[in-house]
Amino acid sequence: MQDVVVVDLGGGSVKLGSARQPDNPKVFPNASAKLKGERGAFVGEAMLDTKDVSALSLRRPVDRGFVVAWELQRDILARAVKSLLGLVPPSACGLVLSEPYLNLPALREAAVHMALDELGFGSVYLCTPAALSLRWHAQRLPGLPANQAGCGLVVDAGFSFTHAVPLFDWRVLPGAIRRIDLGGKALTNFMKELVSYRSINMMDEGYLLEHIKDQLCFVSADAAADLRLARGRNSPFRKEYVLPDGLTDTWGHVRTEKEQQMLAAAAAAQRAGQGPPPPKQPVLMVNNERFMVPEALFHPSDIGMEEAGLAETVAQAVQAAHPHLHALLYSNILLTGGTARCPGFRDRLYAELRPLVPDDYELGIHLADDPALCAWKGAALLAASPQYMQLAVTRLEWRQHGAAAFAKWV
Amino acid sequence: MEKRTLRSRKVSERMAVVDEADRRRVIQARLAALEEDNHKEDDFAAGSDDDEFELPKGSDDDGDEGPASGRKKKKVKVGGGMRKTRGMIADKSKGPKAFRDYLEEAELERLPEGTPSYLTAAVGPARTAAPRKFCSVCGDVSTYTCTRCGSRFCSRRCHAVHTETRCLKFTA
Repeated sequence: MQDVVVVDLGGGSVKLGSARQPDNPKVFPNASAKLKGERGAFVGEAMLDTKDVSALSLRRPVDRGFVVAWELQRDILARAVKSLLGLVPPSACGLVLSEPYLNLPALREAAVHMALDELGFGSVYLCTPAALSLRWHAQRLPGLPANQAGCGLVVDAGFSFTHAVPLFDWRVLPGAIRRIDLGGKALTNFMKELVSYRSINMMDEGYLLEHIKDQLCFVSADAAADLRLARGRNSPFRKEYVLPDGLTDTWGHVRTEKEQQMLAAAAAAQRAGQGPPPPKQPVLMVNNERFMVPEALFHPSDIGMEEAGLAETVAQAVQAAHPHLHALLYSNILLTGGTARCPGFRDRLYAELRPLVPDDYELGIHLADDPALCAWKGAALLAASPQYMQLAVTRLEWRQHGAAAFAKWV
Repeated sequence: MEKRTLRSRKVSERMAVVDEADRRRVIQARLAALEEDNHKEDDFAAGSDDDEFELPKGSDDDGDEGPASGRKKKKVKVGGGMRKTRGMIADKSKGPKAFRDYLEEAELERLPEGTPSYLTAAVGPARTAAPRKFCSVCGDVSTYTCTRCGSRFCSRRCHAVHTETRCLKFTA
């Protein structure tokens, strides 16, 4: 059987691998990066090797969740595909590629054009991440009644935006999809704005800040109470992040208790007139930003966005589906996407969603075991199954029928 | 008499209040900024790194000049190439289309009523929760609104910081 390359094309990162090795896809930023004042750029996978992450100028092919810079996107993928396949020509392989929910027809054609004509794959299948995630989830928990019906609601908290996607019989219900225009990228930029105002100017450090956000941010169970706790100098949430020095510490790190004590001791020694002054490290102070940043996803009004929060979005999506499905959908909510990795995400959603769900419905919220890779793994399952051959559009079909060839995907 | 009018005008200028429309514009601009990358178009227009990547082989210098000169020659042969080249350069410097452009071109509002599309998927304003208010300086719960620009603050200290650093210091 032919090999199938599986690509989950996210706004933040590309997940790419072969269906024959379903355990270790490559994950790399979907961007090209340039050091300030230098000509050379790191494209896609090469960004993982950068030793200097400060003041990187990033260019992303994805704007608001949709690929728009196709040249750059093709370039990023072509390099990664080449290093994955080696000498095997792409024309001997198939491709499963993820596409945004409710994709625009022009962009869907552009994606197929890139896959078949430019990258040269033999066949391609475009699919939304939710359908793929649910497939993976159903394999992990086959006992759930909803999973047997291919029914569930996938919350895809991605980099560009957040979707609540109801599915039935393994198909997305397009009329019931609901979207919040807030994702990991907006949260990172929000955090960037906050810390730049309150601590150190980090306006140019988006790439680094994303890393800091992943390490330090969490979803609070009770934001008001935590805010009260965060007041004053003894806040339990106060953390210091030692910024990268450009030499040994590429990414910087959270200052540990031990380092804290050593610094305090060194400072005391210096005050007493013995010993050298403690080493000065540039440090980023974070306090209530750690939980107020993800908070925006649950209450977009916090940042002036007139949209409903995540819990209400989920409820709205379910309401838009057929009434007979409500109970099944609420019983099988799957959290996927990189933002769902934030600690406390599931519990908070449960706490906010429960009051919105009728009492006699069971509410089951499952966090995918690797939320960011869930869709990729589902896609790998599909690519390895004989179903792929029925669904894929070959280059011949594309040449003959054009966009009409996608009719079988609906 | 004159003095008094002069003075009152001065005061009113300093107390200039940003109206509702402007406040909303500032919020929108800020939200748009949340979707931005730090990349600046100029960096790339001059260096045109994209061209470099498309090249199959060869060192940077050769690569940069080789195809460019080749393209020019072709254009000259065809005739009237000058204008075309200019158009292409102009297009390039604009960069790829933004998603907004694609969305407009798709003309989704012309779809028959009830067809699911990008537009129908947008979740509406919140119905179950009122907007919460946080201090724009320290992030704590805020009780006060700046009378000039409408930002929130929680204490006199934060208000002082706000007036010094942010109040009315935006361009909408």
